[in-house]
Amino acid sequence: MGPLIKLIVLNVVVYAILKFVVPNVPGSAPLPASLVFLYMMLTTSGFVIFATVSAESKEAFWGPIQRFLTGENIGGLQALRYGVLILFPLLVGWQTYNSTAVSDAPPSENRTIHPAPPGEYTGLSNPISKTPDAIQQGKGFYAAFCSPCHGGNFDGKGPAARGFNPPPANFSDPTTIAMLQESYLFWRIKKGGVGLPIEGMPWKSAMPRWEVELPDEWIWKIIMGEYDGAHQSPRTWE
Amino acid sequence: MKHGLNQIVPNVVVCVWLAMGFLIVQPVSAEEKVAATAQPDSTESSVSVSAPMVKGTLPADDPTAAVWNSATLAKFPMSPQVHWPNRILDATVKDLNVRALHDGTNVSILLEYADPTEDPDDSAAVEFMVGDKKAHFAHGQPMAQVEGGPVNIWYWKNKDDKGVDMNAKGFGTIKVQTHQDVKAKGVYANGTWKVVFTRPLATEHPDEDTQITPGGFINIAFAVWDGKKDASGELKEKGSQKAVTSWWNFRAEAPPNYDGYYYAAIAVGLALGFQFVLIRKLKKGHSA
Repeated sequence: MGPLIKLIVLNVVVYAILKFVVPNVPGSAPLPASLVFLYMMLTTSGFVIFATVSAESKEAFWGPIQRFLTGENIGGLQALRYGVLILFPLLVGWQTYNSTAVSDAPPSENRTIHPAPPGEYTGLSNPISKTPDAIQQGKGFYAAFCSPCHGGNFDGKGPAARGFNPPPANFSDPTTIAMLQESYLFWRIKKGGVGLPIEGMPWKSAMPRWEVELPDEWIWKIIMGEYDGAHQSPRTWE
Repeated sequence: MKHGLNQIVPNVVVCVWLAMGFLIVQPVSAEEKVAATAQPDSTESSVSVSAPMVKGTLPADDPTAAVWNSATLAKFPMSPQVHWPNRILDATVKDLNVRALHDGTNVSILLEYADPTEDPDDSAAVEFMVGDKKAHFAHGQPMAQVEGGPVNIWYWKNKDDKGVDMNAKGFGTIKVQTHQDVKAKGVYANGTWKVVFTRPLATEHPDEDTQITPGGFINIAFAVWDGKKDASGELKEKGSQKAVTSWWNFRAEAPPNYDGYYYAAIAVGLALGFQFVLIRKLKKGHSA
């Protein structure tokens, strides 16, 4: 097998591994195309260095390329040569056109979903004792005030949720309230969407500022009801 | 000399190979970008309203004109307004279809939605941010940690059938402008409202009116009131009791731009020249 064929086979194998094997390794994820390209470029560079260490291997590697591009009497490859010489400029032109074309996609926004709370809301503990009665009361308040958006099943799919972007939080998702302390929820419920810092994009959130409608005691009970109903526990530092 | 050329040529060939590899991989990465920006939870809904530029007059008085079909349909789900009391937990209108057109001077935005009954108090509104400051989608409600700006609201009500140009900076602060730039016209047929709002892209009041520059994205939100009355004669939806959307994107499309073709032609020329030089050098290297 000529070194050129080896390089092509090697690149195909590397591509197949990165594209189809790596994403299926437990705990892994699909690789971005730019990273796949980088790995293939490294493979190619490494191979070229290896293939050109001696004069003979260099000739074995470059000879066929040189003959393909300039050699005479290459038979059927002649047509392929013209094909490459015509397609290459067209590809360059196509790529240039694509990269200068105006994008139709709106500007992307990187919203921080759980931004840092103000200092006075860190480390507060729930002043209400965790009794079945208090939890039950909290669930009642939740049903009345929160469930229209956050859902009767605590899944963020309430009947009033569908028009809002960002969507209401899904409390049964382990990346929402299970990652947060009770004091964080107290801040978010009390101050609502308009209480978020700039990285949380407060202008987009429909979350009400409940401090104008509900006493603190009810908010603490709602927090208990939410954790209990969503089968999650608040994050603690112990 | 011959020796030096023999070393240069292989390097040049490597560059060509890498360039070709890059060309092949690039379109794949572009596809990934599109997939990443797509909304995960919305198979049906849009993220943006795009207004193409049309020649001739805009259908400002005709929500049923055929030219509307040349605009891409954007679909937005609606929610009852829950952010602030008095809230409402179930609004009549659940989905809104939006199309827009512009002619380089004026912009027309068509809202289309199902409403089972035609009532004198049926109303609809389009909302924008004004200036550079962000504004909360609920009437520009004050935000605790961000200094917000006002919103510009274009309002239409069936019984008046005209556009009203307003500003607000928080619930209860709505103010009709002294200069009215917005026209509106509604047509009801077969259980569907079609309401078209029209305004110049730019106005002389940038502190109160949103300014629309073709090619640029701005924020847009919508509200709809069902003006039906209940058994006691009270309006089902009024004031803050309405169907709303969050902020989405709006863009008046820029006039067609052919620069891409010129750049592509230059790139093809450069690539051809590169090939010509490369093959000449390779042939010289061989024969020498």
